Amino acid sequence: MPAEDFAPINSEWLEKAGNLWTTPFVDKPSERVIVDPILLSHAAALFKKTPKYFWENPDEAARMVCQACELYDITPVGHYLWADYWGQDYGAEIKIQETSPPAITKYPIKEPEDIDKFEVKSPEELKEGPTFKDHFKALDTVLEEYPQMFAPITQLAGPMEVATNWAGIEDVFMWMITEPEIVDKLIVKATEHMVNACKVTAEKYGANVMITGSVVASGDLLEREQIKRFSYEPQCKAVKNVLKAGAGPGIYYHLCGNHTNSFDMWKDAPMSPFTVVQVGNDGKNVFPSSKLVEHFGDRCTCFGVVDTKLIDRGTPRQVYDQTAEQLQAGKDSPRGFIIGSSCECPTYAPPANVHAMVKAAKDYGKYEKF
Amino acid sequence: MDIKKLISKISKVYSMDIKISEEVANLLKDNGLKAEEMEKVIKDAEESGKKLESKDGSKCLAKAEDDNLTCYALYSASNGGFSLDSGYAHKMKMVGPTGGEFNVEAADEADWICKKCNENAIEANVDMTYLGVTRPGNAIVCPKCGDMYLGEDMVPTIKGAEGILEEKRG
Ligand SMILES: [Zn+2]
Repeated sequence: MPAEDFAPINSEWLEKAGNLWTTPFVDKPSERVIVDPILLSHAAALFKKTPKYFWENPDEAARMVCQACELYDITPVGHYLWADYWGQDYGAEIKIQETSPPAITKYPIKEPEDIDKFEVKSPEELKEGPTFKDHFKALDTVLEEYPQMFAPITQLAGPMEVATNWAGIEDVFMWMITEPEIVDKLIVKATEHMVNACKVTAEKYGANVMITGSVVASGDLLEREQIKRFSYEPQCKAVKNVLKAGAGPGIYYHLCGNHTNSFDMWKDAPMSPFTVVQVGNDGKNVFPSSKLVEHFGDRCTCFGVVDTKLIDRGTPRQVYDQTAEQLQAGKDSPRGFIIGSSCECPTYAPPANVHAMVKAAKDYGKYEKF
Repeated sequence: MDIKKLISKISKVYSMDIKISEEVANLLKDNGLKAEEMEKVIKDAEESGKKLESKDGSKCLAKAEDDNLTCYALYSASNGGFSLDSGYAHKMKMVGPTGGEFNVEAADEADWICKKCNENAIEANVDMTYLGVTRPGNAIVCPKCGDMYLGEDMVPTIKGAEGILEEKRG
């Protein structure tokens, strides 16, 4: 769908949504908490397109996301990304799938011996590589057609996530036990890659918001000490180096999955004035906003969450109730609060459930602190 | 310290020779700083001992702050005097440890020593305030006396943040 196929965005809505979005970062008073359901291919479903179509057409994907922001009255930012970024730049083969995001089918690192020979691409090489080609196609579309909805995002997740897009996750997890030193080496390379990628975005757009955090390295799969060694510590170094390279100022710590055994470590992770922390689950439950604010509220902006599974499979009433509860516990967090989904909005989640989150924000998300 | 030694130290400081190359002079100009300000920062630091020294002893970092601006002089010893290597400033005001206290155990050691305390400095988040907004920034901190410094490489991040705050809050 080219640009002319879409109805124009209402400028009054955009201004109001922009103000709601700004509040958590600069404490500028507005009416209520903004909702960010991390919309990606769900936007395509609203336009009767498939996930395959969404990821094969980054420019159209960006347009659909921007349009969906108005439709739902949510964070006015055009996103385009998927989890298995950066494999292709290093020779991985990916498969564009009909109903889910692109996935890596062949990894560039097959044996532990491959790690020593593995060379991290320079910013110049990454800039011309396949990942940034699509990523920038989407971002440039937002910048040109929806300039007020533009954010210079670099999708990384943490070093463990980058590493497991270079080598299969089963292999990396096995090497963690059999040859942990080789995994340390791999992780160092992943952190170098993170810095180089952020430099490219910052150079192109003058600023950068790095999406980092921990998805693979969660409490369901790893012990606290493993998370510390292979994810938290190298990631802290990477974030500092990204900032030192002038590729800030935005940092978004996306701690997806169960982080009961490690979330507290991130309180001391390097922060910039525009830092957001989001934690998905506390054991099997959604991570309570009260706990998030208790630990991070006096540090940075808190991103409270509604369980993605509930958004996908629950009733609108269940989504509404959980959103209301999370909002009431977090909305007046001293350094700002956002309510969203614990991870990407599922492609075929009922639109009524996404709407239920926004409805709850309107009913229960009004600020009292201003 | 006896009086003679003190007088000799003070006179040394006041007769201090501080070299500023043309390149550094241009940098100061770009950063809106004056040579005299930098000279005062260095003199005050040498007099009080309140400064960071790099672990290899080659460089010192000193600062002076008022309500609106914190200025830094990065300098080194040169032929009995000093040479200014860089000067920078930020408007966000450091107010204390993010979260109320520094977690020294969890922090990375910085490449600097607090000269006054003879203590290894650490890298930690500090709260910074500007235009009514308080948020964290990553700084170099003495865990003993709590002195906080912004490393030169973090300046773009903080400048970027100041620009956004000015646009949104100004
Ligand atoms: Zn000290």
